[in-house]
Amino acid sequence: MLHHLSGRRLLGGLGVGVLTLAVAACGGGSLGEDEESGGGGGEGGGTVRIGLVIPQAGVYTPLGEDMQQGWDLWLEQNGGEMGGFTVETVTADEGEGPDTGVPAIQRLLTEGDVDAMVGIVNSATALGVAEQVTEAQVPLIVANAGAEAITQAAASPYVWRSSFTNAQIAGAMGEYLAGEGIGPVYVMAPDYAAGQEVVAGFTEAYTAGGGTIAGQALTPFGTTQDFQPFLSGVQSSGAAATFVFYAGGEAVSFVQQYAEFGLKDTTPLYGSGFLTEGSVLDAQGPAAVGVRTTLHYSTEIDNETNTEFVEAYQAAYDELPTTYAVQAYDAANVLARALEESGETTGEALSEALGGLGEIDDSPRGPWSFTDQTPEQAVYLREVVDQDGTLVNSVVEELGVFPQP
Amino acid sequence: MLGWFDENLVSILNGFAIGALLFVLAVGLSIVFGMMDVLNLAHGAFFLVGSYLAVNFVAGDSWGGFLAALGVAALVGLLAGGALSGMTEPLARRPVLDQALLTLGISLVVAEVLSIVYGNDVRSVSPPPGLDTSVDVAGSAYPAYRLMLIGVGLVLALAVWLVVERTSVGALVRASVADREMVSAMGIDNRKVKVAVLGIGSMLATVAGVLAAPVYGARPGLDETILLLALVVVVIGGLGSIRGALIGALVIGQVESLGRALLPDVASFILFGTLALVLIVRPRGLFAGKVAHS
Repeated sequence: MLHHLSGRRLLGGLGVGVLTLAVAACGGGSLGEDEESGGGGGEGGGTVRIGLVIPQAGVYTPLGEDMQQGWDLWLEQNGGEMGGFTVETVTADEGEGPDTGVPAIQRLLTEGDVDAMVGIVNSATALGVAEQVTEAQVPLIVANAGAEAITQAAASPYVWRSSFTNAQIAGAMGEYLAGEGIGPVYVMAPDYAAGQEVVAGFTEAYTAGGGTIAGQALTPFGTTQDFQPFLSGVQSSGAAATFVFYAGGEAVSFVQQYAEFGLKDTTPLYGSGFLTEGSVLDAQGPAAVGVRTTLHYSTEIDNETNTEFVEAYQAAYDELPTTYAVQAYDAANVLARALEESGETTGEALSEALGGLGEIDDSPRGPWSFTDQTPEQAVYLREVVDQDGTLVNSVVEELGVFPQP
Repeated sequence: MLGWFDENLVSILNGFAIGALLFVLAVGLSIVFGMMDVLNLAHGAFFLVGSYLAVNFVAGDSWGGFLAALGVAALVGLLAGGALSGMTEPLARRPVLDQALLTLGISLVVAEVLSIVYGNDVRSVSPPPGLDTSVDVAGSAYPAYRLMLIGVGLVLALAVWLVVERTSVGALVRASVADREMVSAMGIDNRKVKVAVLGIGSMLATVAGVLAAPVYGARPGLDETILLLALVVVVIGGLGSIRGALIGALVIGQVESLGRALLPDVASFILFGTLALVLIVRPRGLFAGKVAHS
């Protein structure tokens, strides 16, 4: 009996141990390499090593997948070359927060031997590595994180951004709604840095335009599954409209519950574009139809580059591109232009070249340029419509070109 | 007073709905730990399995799909609980922490497998036909599905209580907690009782997952959030007590709903504030299990 038991214990213990180890290895965020790493670190071979830092585990994984696809598509369309250099992509797992993201970037800098880095979803991670990136003189193009400080208070000559800033997107909506004179607006966002920046950006622009705020709620970030308690606050405030910023799982819950609790019909819902961007839109379903948001991209932007981009992306991945894919695609584009311009891969030369690029005229989002190292770009007012069974963010109008506020 | 009640009626009602859901979720965890001394940290992962099964059977399209999801989830829960019982058996004489580590490992594996099978996107499930509308409650719209949850929770609470307190099966379970050696000496295999209790406890987790799918959806990471809530409910209610799990779930339901509506500024702290308060006043929970551990 005893022998029998201990045998089973050994087997069971081993099995679980092996499985756990396997999972740990998958999520451990080791450096993965796309192409064989031959050639060492020599400059003469005409290769450029670029670190792609994207979330491969955790809640931001869908964003990471989109960024990887945008990056891959650009390389494929350009023969895997940037300005004459053959690109070697070294992928690193950013994970959810700075606890995993910062070490991943440290590894890229020390062991990855990279000439430049692209990616980063989480603002705290982007802010956490600014100093090391500057010290190592390796340019980093932030392809999502929207914190203002990345290119303001904590700005570095080596940190660039191909995405947006939180207040840039929210401010455009504030200005537009104030112009429409829709009445008091209730503002909601998750209670963390990005949510607070969106609320501040919207409130400032909306009140500057003469609007009034009916009330605001900052909901606990990551632990709010049920928005009913806050929705009853919207109801009792007498707001004429609601403006929110949510992303991922919270965006799905919020939009659905906003409809379930009957607010959609009485109080129009406006938001920062991430509310209805990418895979969350499919999950939201009919509840999302009619929701209006602002963002610097939509698949429905009517220009030739975007049409071609959407077609190519759909052909390659059988799904519609997202703003996350475009941000990585554009990061590849500006990096290629900088390499072409400078003809060398040193960080100093690359950063200088990035600063002199001027207008980027072949982006799916429309023309944009670096102002203080972050995009000055058009922001679009979008509305979710059902297009033959597929939900898309149709473009209502272009609200004009906005720099970082 | 009446005006205040009117104003907050929807929040109070919602507190009951969330409380009912939390009860279904937490009672399994409470029974398993209180009666069998196994702290099952895979409870949240089992819950998520149920939610994804609801996605699989597209529970919203027909009652058939919804009931099929419930049935399959119950079966999967039973089997998973049985397997878990076998895995924890070799650790039965080791400290509770060892078992907790084992179940934590299992929960990580299950969550990773789910992420491989279903991807990392957020999935949503619409309520079954007839319940996918909103009804008018005191002038505000309220989702019909959540009203049904209150009924389901009450029925289940009654059923579990009846089984444990009024049947011979329940007596056997209570007896094996009070004195396992004595029960064995009477010719009853203690391990079989453990398999049954873990099976039913895990079944309640997967069933709660299906029931919660139309409210919470299914996504990676939901398992951890849910496990935390269940642990808070169990600690507040008192381990191993059905009544405690019910009261704890209803209290947390109101705290999460009415509490957040009344005090939105402290919404982040109110849950753990309540937990801390209960721990200070009643360290063993509001209703600690009647049967003391030897």
